[in-house]
Amino acid sequence: MEEILRFDNVSFSYDEITEDKAKTEYAVKNVSLSIKKGEYIAILGHNGSGKSTLAKLSNAILMPDEGTVYVEGIPTFVVGETEEVELERTMKIRQHVGMVFQNPDNQIVATIVEEDVAFGPENLGVDPIEIRKRVDESLKAVGMYEYRGHEPHKLSGGQKQRVAIAGILAMQPDCLVLDESTAMLDPRGRREVMNTVRKLHDELSMTVVFITHFMDEAVTADRVVVMDEGSVIMDGTPREVFSNPEKLRSVGLDVPQATEFSNELSKIGLLMPNDILNADECVTSLSTLLEE
Amino acid sequence: MIKDITIGQYFPGNSIVHKMDPRMKLILTFVYIIVIFVCKNFYSLGVMVIALVIMVLLSKIPVKTILKSVKPIFIIILFTAILNVLYTKTGTIIFEWKFIHISTGGIYTAIFMVIRIVSLVVASSLLTYTTSPTLITDAIERLLSPLKFMRNSIHTIAMMMTIALRFIPTLIEEFDKITSAQKARGADLETGTLVERAKALIPIFIPLFITSFRRAYELAYAMECRCYHGAEGRTRMKQMSYSVRDFAGFVFMVLVTAGVVSLNFVFPHLI
Repeated sequence: MEEILRFDNVSFSYDEITEDKAKTEYAVKNVSLSIKKGEYIAILGHNGSGKSTLAKLSNAILMPDEGTVYVEGIPTFVVGETEEVELERTMKIRQHVGMVFQNPDNQIVATIVEEDVAFGPENLGVDPIEIRKRVDESLKAVGMYEYRGHEPHKLSGGQKQRVAIAGILAMQPDCLVLDESTAMLDPRGRREVMNTVRKLHDELSMTVVFITHFMDEAVTADRVVVMDEGSVIMDGTPREVFSNPEKLRSVGLDVPQATEFSNELSKIGLLMPNDILNADECVTSLSTLLEE
Repeated sequence: MIKDITIGQYFPGNSIVHKMDPRMKLILTFVYIIVIFVCKNFYSLGVMVIALVIMVLLSKIPVKTILKSVKPIFIIILFTAILNVLYTKTGTIIFEWKFIHISTGGIYTAIFMVIRIVSLVVASSLLTYTTSPTLITDAIERLLSPLKFMRNSIHTIAMMMTIALRFIPTLIEEFDKITSAQKARGADLETGTLVERAKALIPIFIPLFITSFRRAYELAYAMECRCYHGAEGRTRMKQMSYSVRDFAGFVFMVLVTAGVVSLNFVFPHLI
């Protein structure tokens, strides 16, 4: 499969890099990661693990101090470019990798939903008729078309976040990075956003990078990457990652509830499989056990 | 509390006034405001009021909403009226007591001023009621765009206005939230002297300022992520073009202005 994002030995620090590299505090340290087209990948980590920094590195908001980030083969940082060339390259990168942030209020620019969704393509200089088409399509894709004439501040958190996603979709990106986009929402809003993202992945085969600290959201991903202190410490399918609860706990993360429950059952002697991810699986294995 | 203000609020609709080109609406409102100061007597003012009533009826905005827009400046209107009554000494004096002289001239001037101010406020409210704030800033940007040498700064100012308008409700909500939080901790905002109450606002405004800065940072990131890079190479989804109704509005305004000017000549006095 084609590669869409590649981190090549990337390090980044918010401080000035001093001569003595051992003393520098890195937010992201020696990360190598490859994300393929059409993947649904969850990045897990507690606060300060570097997961948000990683997101910002992926679309040229931050430039790596060491190593290179490639977006569809384009490096996000090139030494000694003229300003115009750099702008053009950055625009191309940001068009490929769209980013949705945590606070829905702080990413909506216009006072009317459809005008906000149009903001991205307007910046890209798209033809007005084409913008109209894209805005309608994007709003339909996130299920907010009926709200196109509304004022954003009258919408719920989940709805605002869906408008923000539509605003990114209108730029027609290949990859959607959601930087803790569900963290500020209530359970219902969270479900709305999760379902929307899942739908975009399934129907439009959008590559999704989902940054979160909710385990249950990571379960549905194709691949889970766990970060701690700026490094990737685990990388695999949800089943592989969550079957190692000790390691997850050592970096301050939990396992999903169903996994936790079946692990506890195994501890008291029940023969539960150690790779249970959701309630359904838990129920099935419990009932087979009980029948025996 | 502050949520109740209706001045500058937009009511979506489908009327002829809503559909008019925002640039034309902006120009017409501007001309209207100038012409209302040209009026010299009740006849020409009457023409202006009739013109305004026609526009309000065409906009299909409920009269109640229109009247609400006058409410915030009620005190100013009252004050102007009283001052005019007291300080104009033309015509016959109808009431006299110590230093107070009320004359017919004074009452006429007061009524004239009140009608003038109310029409002024209603006309500008009609613009904001029927045009979304984004379209107004957009129209300003487009009207000023012939000034090529200032193009970038005009775009920046228009953008800033859009963002400011977008964040007013958000900040009001935030203000209410912080106020409740401080009240829950025992902050006393309602009693005490003016100085004490002003001081009590400090613990509300400081968090508000800090979060605003954080918001500004995040918004800047989000805008960069959506490829914002100023006016250069930017297109707009909503195109503006003048249509028949805009020319009709323009002609209407020209006729009203002509009427006002000729009535000013025909009747040189207030009454």
